[in-house]
Amino acid sequence: MSRIFYDYLISLEKIEIEIKKTVELPEEREELWQIVDEILHHRIISVILDKLPQEHHLEFLENFHSAPHAESHINYLSERVVEDIEELIKKEAEKLTNEIIEEVLV
Amino acid sequence: MSAQNTSKFKRLTGDELRQRLKIKYLREKSNLSAKHPHVERFLKDKGTTIEGLRQHSAKLIGAGALTSALLLSAPADIKSLPAPHEIMERFSPPVFSGNEDLLEKNENKTVLVNLFESLLPKRTRPLSRNEEKVLEQVFNNVMGVKTRATLEGEHLNTTYGVIGAEQHLKRFPGDTVGEHGSGPILKEGIAPGLGAWGYLTPSREKLTPHIEETEKWYAVVQTLYLPDWGRRQPYLKNWYKFRKVLIVNTNNGNAVVASIADSGPAAWTGKHYGGSPEVMNHLGGLRYKKGTVITFFVDDPENKVPLGPVEYN
Repeated sequence: MSRIFYDYLISLEKIEIEIKKTVELPEEREELWQIVDEILHHRIISVILDKLPQEHHLEFLENFHSAPHAESHINYLSERVVEDIEELIKKEAEKLTNEIIEEVLV
Repeated sequence: MSAQNTSKFKRLTGDELRQRLKIKYLREKSNLSAKHPHVERFLKDKGTTIEGLRQHSAKLIGAGALTSALLLSAPADIKSLPAPHEIMERFSPPVFSGNEDLLEKNENKTVLVNLFESLLPKRTRPLSRNEEKVLEQVFNNVMGVKTRATLEGEHLNTTYGVIGAEQHLKRFPGDTVGEHGSGPILKEGIAPGLGAWGYLTPSREKLTPHIEETEKWYAVVQTLYLPDWGRRQPYLKNWYKFRKVLIVNTNNGNAVVASIADSGPAAWTGKHYGGSPEVMNHLGGLRYKKGTVITFFVDDPENKVPLGPVEYN
């Protein structure tokens, strides 16, 4: 099983539809899914660290690396980030969807 | 998922799309590097990368040390499990006379949905081995379908997750949606690409009722995220090909036996499985596009369990 703690906040379905329409072979489709996954992780980690005070970065990275799936990271972040962290991640994922649509698909 | 309403998009080739996504990826990577250079250094020291996060997660969980749901969820998500015999006592024994049969059937569905409500958290998460064992027993005794969360050492990426609507699959070269039945079930259309195992048969002439049933009742599971998917080939690909699964809608108790015919959906869609238009229709009706389900392997070495709806009692 593979799981990242913020998976439940992410829904980039529009991108998936376009990838499915564009490539025929399942291997190619999975390769493109992987690239989108990489884009997403860079963006979400970036937004988390933007909001998390610097002194907690190392501790968060240690925790995250030990258990990338653990939803307890949300609690950890909620206690240290002023904004609603779940809302922040959701909004960033929506923003990313729009960017991919504008920069890549249109 | 239907591919309608996306006409504003350019028609790109696969290569063009890959190239454009790669450029976006490089931009994101460089942004993160510029703002938080310590991330890359930190992960490098640990022997991993952001690109390898999902594989890293799969490895950790697959190693077995983290299979307990206790480590995966907030404590509020974990509910104490009643003894299996206590659970089974809640269900009515089968009654086979006149309308009572229908009554019992509906009652058992209600009991099953209540059980899901008492046992499962609202937000999906991997189930603990104990939770899976209880559900295996319930499905076996109430539905008469022998299922396993882990079969022959294999376990799905997750057994409690979100299913989404898929399109019909091309069974042979030249297959069209019009050949997949009639009525509203055709509304989802036919997928432009092929399933993970390619065409189900080389030509229209070789189409058999069995192949028709396989496509009609097909499921999509996330084989690509299995921890050892890349390492254990071709064994795993063959093992999963058309493997039967029982899918149970946790909101209404509707159940269907389906055959795995494609890989997906991508983890970033918020979904964990896909179902053919027929599977989705049976699980929740024609408007059902997404919902929470339990998915277990069907333990059917003699291939006796038919694909399609499971009418229990």
